[in-house]
Amino acid sequence: MNTPSVILKSTILATCLFWIPIMSKDFQSDMILFVFLSIIPISLCCAFTILLTIAPFFWFHGKASSDGSVHRNKVIFNKYFPFYAITTFSLCLYGTIKFSFAISFFISVFFTTMQSWIWFAKNNQ
Amino acid sequence: MKNIPLLIGAFLFSILFYKQDIGLNFSLFSLLTIIILLIHNKNLFKKKSTIIFSIVFLITAITTFFYRSSLAITAYIVAFLTLIGHVSEEGSSVYVNWLNGAYTFIAGIFHRNFNTNEKDEKAIPKQKVDYLHLIKIIGIPLITVIIFISLYKNGNPMFSELISKIDFSFINIQWLLVSVLGYYLLSNISKPVRVDPATTYDLNTGNSLGIKGNIAEEKLKKENQLGFILIALLNILIVFFIITDITYLISTNDLRASAFSNQVHNGINTLIASIIIAIIIILYFFRGNLNFYKDNKNLKTVTYAWIILNLMLIINIVIKDCQYIYYFGFTYKRIGVLIYLLLTIIGLLTTSIKVKQIKNFWYLFRVNTLTAFTILIVSSTINWDNYITYYNLNYAQSMDFNYLLELSDNNTFLLKNYADRNNLTAERKSLIEKKYEAYLTELESKKWQEIHYDNFKIKKDQ
Repeated sequence: MNTPSVILKSTILATCLFWIPIMSKDFQSDMILFVFLSIIPISLCCAFTILLTIAPFFWFHGKASSDGSVHRNKVIFNKYFPFYAITTFSLCLYGTIKFSFAISFFISVFFTTMQSWIWFAKNNQ
Repeated sequence: MKNIPLLIGAFLFSILFYKQDIGLNFSLFSLLTIIILLIHNKNLFKKKSTIIFSIVFLITAITTFFYRSSLAITAYIVAFLTLIGHVSEEGSSVYVNWLNGAYTFIAGIFHRNFNTNEKDEKAIPKQKVDYLHLIKIIGIPLITVIIFISLYKNGNPMFSELISKIDFSFINIQWLLVSVLGYYLLSNISKPVRVDPATTYDLNTGNSLGIKGNIAEEKLKKENQLGFILIALLNILIVFFIITDITYLISTNDLRASAFSNQVHNGINTLIASIIIAIIIILYFFRGNLNFYKDNKNLKTVTYAWIILNLMLIINIVIKDCQYIYYFGFTYKRIGVLIYLLLTIIGLLTTSIKVKQIKNFWYLFRVNTLTAFTILIVSSTINWDNYITYYNLNYAQSMDFNYLLELSDNNTFLLKNYADRNNLTAERKSLIEKKYEAYLTELESKKWQEIHYDNFKIKKDQ
């Protein structure tokens, strides 16, 4: 499982998703510097989220079955991903309602975690 | 080709929801949803059940247009999830429909992306796209150009002025982003997906209980005795409770709202605990082979008696609640109590059916969730604020006027009408006038996507 590669891809995706709604509202060229600076906290957030909430499903779900990790990843994905998606969506929706100023953060969290699951599950296929 | 309806739908989604409040857009979105589902799942729409769930969804959409209450919006969301879940797996229970519907709506596209049939993928050989190179040739020059522009802007005022004159304001990126969101949501629901193994488990689980292994007579005899003694004692206890409660109800002359409120709420708390324990105990004793034990007649009799006594307890609380309503008028809490009691009666009746026809726990869960869903849909079609106001103004012995003012705008026209036709105090009249004026201003400021039934009412009046 190539976890660093998933974290790297997630960081790029999260940065784009975080900044696109903000820039679409009010773009200023001075923002570019902040985009680059934000990569550091975003990468930390992505690493923590992936390592604590996604990767354990793949690490601790028993050993690979006889027909290989493709089948194993599919089983893990189909079993846990729906509930993970519903929980993440509920939390992000609640966050958006409660802290509407941080909408781009919650959009970024939702889509990045969803795509990270796909990358993780497809990694060994 | 199948993407064209989705693209059109995405733009319509943006037109309907970009910076808009709830109104006509919800009703139009329901039509859009049904059209998208119909295009992608034609065969399913030949079935009666799918048509019924679509009609239910349309009814909630119409209700939202008429009342725009929180209950109507909740019913709309639940009906939407039920329809999507039903299309994903037509034979599953209502609660599995909700699960499938929620999953499809939230992450259907991700699920399909992961579970793409590998054989289909191999049939059309794809040219491998070098994403890294693509990112390089687009991203690196773009970022470098932007960095240099910001550098040159600081170094040359003429260049800075020229750059600041470039105006992209005619492109509304936020509107486009809402379209992208619309495409994502419509694409999710176009081909509903299933949550497995939950759906498979639900499909494979019937409603009836069967004999598990061998019937151990001795063990069942002991369990039967325990069950009989326990439920018989609970019967005696509940009889005492009902007698004392009825005596209190007949003898008391205390007509204070607080006294009624205490009685109803204490009664409800007792009832909640009693019903939950009753159903758990019944489910425990009738979970397996005791259903097939030949001498379980007495146990069944005391169980039915307990269910009947619980029903009597409910009737007692209904009488108290109705008295409460008669003297002090309707409130949402008092209506909520009545709906809860209705649900409880249905829950107890289905429990007795479970015992009589030897059904399992899933039968109870299926029937009761379907009942709750039906009651939600039916109750959402009623303009409660209007009814509460009408009853309290015309029939209640006394009422809380401020409570009526605090209700949603659904009762505004009724209050205004009442104020015009009756002699109210100047203060009350001015409060109603204030609410009416504020509502009129709100209605007049609405865009076409946000309008609802009351907009047509004011046009008629004008």
